[in-house]
Amino acid sequence: MRGAPIVVVACGVLLLAACGGTPTGTNPSTGGAGAPPPPQASLTGAGATFPYPFYNAAFYAYNLKFSQVSVNYQSVGSGAGIQQLTKKTVDFGASDVPMNATELAAAGGSDTVVQIAGTLGTEGLAYNLDGVATGKLKLTPDTIAGIFLGTIKNWNDPALAADNSGLTLPNQAISVVHRSDGSGTTYIFTDYLSKVNATWNSTVGKGKSVSWKTGQGAKGNEAVATTIKQTPGAIGYVELAYIIQTNMTQASLKNHDGSFVTPSPEGATAAASNFPDVTPTQFSIVDAPGKTSSPITGYSWLMLYKDQADKTKGTALVDLFDWLVTEGQSYAVNVHYSKLPSNIVRQDIASLKTVTSGGATLLNVATPS
Amino acid sequence: MNLPLVRLLVDRLVGWLIVLCVMLAAIPVLVLLLFVVLKGLPGILTPGFFTEPPHPQGVPGGGVLNAIIGTVEIVGIASLLAVPIGALIGIFLSEYGRNQIGDTVRFISDVLTGLPSIAFGIFAYTVVVVTTHHFSALAASIALAVLMLPLILRATETALVLVPQSLREAGLAIGAPRWRVTLEIIVPAALGGIVTGALLAMARAAGETAPLLFTALGNDTVQTNPLQPMGALSLTVFRNALLPYQNVQDQAWAAALLLVIMVAATNILARIYVRRIQR
Amino acid sequence: MSRGTATERVVPTPLVATSRQRRLISGDRIFHAFAYAAAALIILIALVFVVAVVIPALPAITKFGLGFFISRTWDPVRSQFGALPAIYGTLVTSAIALVIAFPIGLGAALFLAEDARLRFLRGPLSFAIELLAGIPSVVIGLWAFFILTPLMRDNVDPFLQHTLGFLPIFHGTASGYGYLTAGLVLAIMVLPIMIALSRDVIRAVPRALREGSLALGATNAETIWSVILPYARVGITGAALLSLGRALGETIAVTMVIGNTMQISSSLFASGYTLPSVIANEFTEATGTIHLASLFYLGVVLVLITIAVNVVARLLVWRFAGSEPMVA
Repeated sequence: MRGAPIVVVACGVLLLAACGGTPTGTNPSTGGAGAPPPPQASLTGAGATFPYPFYNAAFYAYNLKFSQVSVNYQSVGSGAGIQQLTKKTVDFGASDVPMNATELAAAGGSDTVVQIAGTLGTEGLAYNLDGVATGKLKLTPDTIAGIFLGTIKNWNDPALAADNSGLTLPNQAISVVHRSDGSGTTYIFTDYLSKVNATWNSTVGKGKSVSWKTGQGAKGNEAVATTIKQTPGAIGYVELAYIIQTNMTQASLKNHDGSFVTPSPEGATAAASNFPDVTPTQFSIVDAPGKTSSPITGYSWLMLYKDQADKTKGTALVDLFDWLVTEGQSYAVNVHYSKLPSNIVRQDIASLKTVTSGGATLLNVATPS
Repeated sequence: MNLPLVRLLVDRLVGWLIVLCVMLAAIPVLVLLLFVVLKGLPGILTPGFFTEPPHPQGVPGGGVLNAIIGTVEIVGIASLLAVPIGALIGIFLSEYGRNQIGDTVRFISDVLTGLPSIAFGIFAYTVVVVTTHHFSALAASIALAVLMLPLILRATETALVLVPQSLREAGLAIGAPRWRVTLEIIVPAALGGIVTGALLAMARAAGETAPLLFTALGNDTVQTNPLQPMGALSLTVFRNALLPYQNVQDQAWAAALLLVIMVAATNILARIYVRRIQR
Repeated sequence: MSRGTATERVVPTPLVATSRQRRLISGDRIFHAFAYAAAALIILIALVFVVAVVIPALPAITKFGLGFFISRTWDPVRSQFGALPAIYGTLVTSAIALVIAFPIGLGAALFLAEDARLRFLRGPLSFAIELLAGIPSVVIGLWAFFILTPLMRDNVDPFLQHTLGFLPIFHGTASGYGYLTAGLVLAIMVLPIMIALSRDVIRAVPRALREGSLALGATNAETIWSVILPYARVGITGAALLSLGRALGETIAVTMVIGNTMQISSSLFASGYTLPSVIANEFTEATGTIHLASLFYLGVVLVLITIAVNVVARLLVWRFAGSEPMVA
């Protein structure tokens, strides 16, 4: 992993520049003995609720390790994260969907923003039905589309019964819950539906915010989960971590290959392995082939400005992200996210190395093999 | 009384309807407080509630230290801004304000009082957050200060107007200049009303959430720098309520209880102060 | 002493103006300046306020114009925005709030201002109402979200549907989130204002009128109906309008129970949206200039409506109660 010699050499360089002033070209701390610590900084980030449980745990651990860096991450939705980064009111943004051409143009051009994948997660369809345990409810692309289009209105609809022969579904109205805010989670979900269902593709399409045909809105993954839990007969799309951490029941979904799978971190990894060339412009990994692949999977992205005005902050930021995509990934498993595949880690670090401040690169590590 | 039966019955009926209205009016607050206390007390009594910031899921414990510091600091700075300016405007209105400018000021004050609190958040976002490229407690304080201004201004004017004119005349008669009469005689006489107004405005500000949403943004770490985003009790209640984790929801109730206690205490304090001054 | 000219104020000057007196007089001028500066400050704040809220709304105003008010589409993907669902939601929830709070508030106010019986309850009731007025909106929202909503969904809504289900306003399934619950929450929040103002207005009715009516043999109920209420009609309307103004602008408690759905529905059980809720939910994430400008436009609409209602209300209440109301 990290070449120890490089760390030692960097230590020497750092020790010379260490007293009080801003170190130039600081190495990230990766836990090796004698690794130089990041400078003191208070970082603010805002964005997606999808990766929030992971980021929350990771940033907390990072602060325990390096108390001079405190990271405040507010999960206000992907759309908000991008907007606030564009307005430069936060140091980094987080979104399940990378910035598109329009958003990049608003931020100053596609070469002004660096986007890296922060984590890999998957979505499930959580529901609130008495007596129907997790995984027992089977949903196919067409039934999901039907429910969210409002054409399947009741749990005892024949279309649902057809896929759930062993199950008695009650005569109860389906309460659909979706996002009310601009959401990357919504994007991944609607991207999936657009791919697998022609009606959805032509009537609703995909986006962070779409014109929903039915259901009520809740702000953030958290509120969707809470609303589903509180409303009997409800169903909604939620990031897996929220489902597991709150003991919600989720459906088993028919994936691309035809098997019914219950979304899981392993399924996400399986799905991601089909797409080795993910970039911020080519990032969709939904409906992946593979017997165990979870169908509604996606990366969650972090974005920061390539040219950091404040050198200290910029250094702390790239240190944080470098740690996050390498060591920090060990915190993902406990909170039901998947570790980033190594090709993505490589890409991320290469991208982080392009971040500069006043012309000087802020991250000087060897790109891992 | 010799009344036709119908009239008597109608009178009785109306009487009972009024009592019904009274009960219906009193029930919400009782039920509200009951639930807030019942659901919030366990959380407040948990060790670490007052001394720890929130912990992420999986790490037990945690509290609302960041929010307590945040609310106190944000409302504190807002008060430092609003109280002197509001008091001064109130003095202006009562001493120099019987004219067009005074009427304009009163009109503006009335309009501001009736505005939805989110408007102050929008105002502070455009004026402070976007220009400084920072969410900050200061932006939240500015939003709250503008919200508090009309309340303090009104209370000050009312208190000053109540001071008998004879006091002013006595002061001027012994040769004191107007500014001394105002500052050293009239204002101290009206201090009870002014302080009450300030305390009530502070209590109101402490409970506000909407203006903080896009100014202070929120912060799960302990932060005292007013130029940084900061948490607050009202934000904690709002955000935690919508999180699906039981322990976090419990913290929302506990924070709500704390908020209610703080607001009630301030109100009671104001009341006691008024009674003491009025003796 | 110089010849007094038309522009010079002729005042009896002391024989010698001491430096101390000069200082004191200039102190007056400084104080005067400070006071006027403070007044100017609040006028300046108001102007900045208007600019800060209106200018960012201009892109949407120029694009949609007045059609904004009647358009039902709110589509961020296609950059088409219309305020009608939000306006509808605001009006419906506020109307429900008034329908509930007006009679109850008036009744309680009559008790506080009038009733000879049960006098000992007046103090505690006043205290309870003031307590309610002081409870932060987010706490009420919290309670509404966890306690009221299930209560509505499981008990009240089914009951209404069972008994009055033939009415279109009670059609459809109730999830607990929606216009009715939000209206109820708003009613609870405006109750203190309604009661406090109505009480002041009723107290302002001259005793002579009241006592005259009773002396002529009218019962309490008849006095209230034929004498007090007609006399206080204008002031009570003002009180209702001020309560309406408060209901229109309430943000947080409503956002937590309204359901956050941009739609228009005739059923009170349906979820909807209100002007402040849309702004609160979508503000930080508005993608694109038009989206953000549309939110500001909503803000302008909201501010205009609340100002209009408040101004009319205060004119009415002042005229009747005689002095300015002390409203929390």
